[in-house]
Amino acid sequence: MKIRTIIAGNIAILLLATLSVRAADQMTVYAARPGSKMRIEGTANVIHTTWQIESPFIAGMIKVGPNFPTEPGQVVAPGAKLDAQANAVIMARSLKSVNEDGSHYSDGMDEIMCEHLNAAKFNQITYKLTELTLKEAPKTKDAPYVCDAKGDLTIAGVTNPIAMVVNILPLPDNKLEITGSTALKMTDYKVPIVDKSIIGLAHIKTGDEVKLIFKWMLAQRKAPAAAAK
Amino acid sequence: MNENGNEDLGHNRRDFLKGGSVATLMTMLGGVELFAQTNAAPGGQSTPPVAKMKVAVIGLGAWGREIVNTLVNPVAPVEPADLAAICDTYGPALRRTANTVPGATQTPDYKTILANKDIKAVIIATPTPGHKELALAALKAGKHVYCEAPLENTIEDAREIALAAKAANRQVFQCGLQKRSDPQRRFLLPFIHSGALGTSVLARAQWHKKTSWRSASPNPEHEKELNWRLNKATSLGLIGEIGSHQVDQAGWFLNALPTAVTGFGSIDFWKDGRDVPDTVQAVFEFPAGVRLLYDCTLTNSFEGEYEVLYGSYAAIMMRESKAWMFKEVDSPLLGWEVFAAKAQFNDDTGIVLVAGATKSTSADQTPEAKAAAAAKTPLWHALDNFLRNAVDLSAAAEDFITSYGADDVDGLQAALAKAEHRPAANYLEGFQAVVTAVKANEAILSGKRIELKPEWYELS
Repeated sequence: MKIRTIIAGNIAILLLATLSVRAADQMTVYAARPGSKMRIEGTANVIHTTWQIESPFIAGMIKVGPNFPTEPGQVVAPGAKLDAQANAVIMARSLKSVNEDGSHYSDGMDEIMCEHLNAAKFNQITYKLTELTLKEAPKTKDAPYVCDAKGDLTIAGVTNPIAMVVNILPLPDNKLEITGSTALKMTDYKVPIVDKSIIGLAHIKTGDEVKLIFKWMLAQRKAPAAAAK
Repeated sequence: MNENGNEDLGHNRRDFLKGGSVATLMTMLGGVELFAQTNAAPGGQSTPPVAKMKVAVIGLGAWGREIVNTLVNPVAPVEPADLAAICDTYGPALRRTANTVPGATQTPDYKTILANKDIKAVIIATPTPGHKELALAALKAGKHVYCEAPLENTIEDAREIALAAKAANRQVFQCGLQKRSDPQRRFLLPFIHSGALGTSVLARAQWHKKTSWRSASPNPEHEKELNWRLNKATSLGLIGEIGSHQVDQAGWFLNALPTAVTGFGSIDFWKDGRDVPDTVQAVFEFPAGVRLLYDCTLTNSFEGEYEVLYGSYAAIMMRESKAWMFKEVDSPLLGWEVFAAKAQFNDDTGIVLVAGATKSTSADQTPEAKAAAAAKTPLWHALDNFLRNAVDLSAAAEDFITSYGADDVDGLQAALAKAEHRPAANYLEGFQAVVTAVKANEAILSGKRIELKPEWYELS
């Protein structure tokens, strides 16, 4: 009896190990694509009481397992932890101040922002996903999967854990659109508020709280072609 | 004469207006002075660092030296510029310029600059006939290129440059028509296009300076090279080397290309063996019956350089970076002139107005701020815009490729098209200015009227 238990146990371990290997093999990579946008909104004390900066570049990728929704209508139980590993990168220098209509606002504002973000030393704003849980299944086939995301956000060399709600929308042709937003305080990342006169403009003092709003477009990376025999 | 006993070529307009006497005269004539909002740095405020780009200047004659001096002017340096190298085949010019920028690499060979991967941008200020070789090589080497106007002496060579620039969409190409970067003129443009002057009826421009344009050199071969402007075979003369800027501006403000040109030219004073006229006049015809009367002379300095646009309601005159408006008695009230001071000149009541004064702060009035503002000439703005555009375009290309890879060529082009483009004359405007200059020069040398066909201005 003991031998059968041991054998059964070993078989179970072997099966589990095999499953793990198969799970790793079944991770699919989605790489960043054009059409993405990172927008940061804040407040200020001058004529325009809000400010906004944007970047069209969000680099990185997401690796997803079998239970990650990649097709519309895919059944995933709410509360399920989704197999996903993600890293996103935004170049600080690519963030530009914009008017409400999207036109460029000011070189002076851009330069001050880069200085405050210490972009010369820390050019990358990075996000590493640590946990993704399905919060709400889509109500219609075209609706997104609403998820709770936890991860580490690094700005100006300072890393803090953040939690936010993200929407995952599978698109045709093996594409994904991931959107979300989160509020944070710049001083939590040791980024000082702006409190100075800007050349050609006026004295500007910005608020500490900002809102990050993003849209991240990704497409499934094609597997490399098998080597010719 | 300059310190080496050579004639300056007369491009240094800073010498021209001394003591504000012309500005006073214009105000007394009833001119309303118009100027764009100042960009003076607030007193006591430090400015954040600006992303820099290593740049080289090729061609160190009088204008090349002016470019170098502008880039590194301690009162108002062009901040994105990291002047890494200077180049000229003439040793004395190289050594002379090195006194201003001792840290820059000196070389007689432009190919060493193009081979240097750290140098991302070049400014071409050589004699006009050499522009094509340099511009094409620089674009091929992946550099951002600022090429002085006129781009070349022939339409065919200018077209080659423009087509190469068009194809090089990851690089900035800017023509040295610096008035197009001048904030003062850009401030006037919507004002004029809004119809504030009424119906455009006439334009005038002139450039007068008594100077021979001749440079001396102890080396006869070099003297011939130095005086390329005085030879018809190597120069478009006054209309090309000087008039390009002012004629281009007229077309820009009139929002049209000229349809015909009649020219006159003669050697009236400097009879020293040159075959390029020292005095030229040209009448450019524009649509709707508007004509630009242009004259340019090396024989007399009176009234210097200015441009005037005449409308049925008002005229605007521009000198350097200043502008004044002279209103007709029956022109509609614009509103803001109610707040302007008035001055009497003969029987005319003039409106003296400093537009943008309410946006100016006390920090703009310090001696340092005023000196910095004065140093920001149209050339300064043209160079600043060129390098900022180059920095932004390069960064956008790098960030796109880092983010999304290099395979998506269409996506990269779309992203670069959205990158910030500060005002500057582009390859098409540079090409079109050459078409006008070449034909105007033909008209001047023949004394004839030449019709300017629209298809001549098309690039492809």
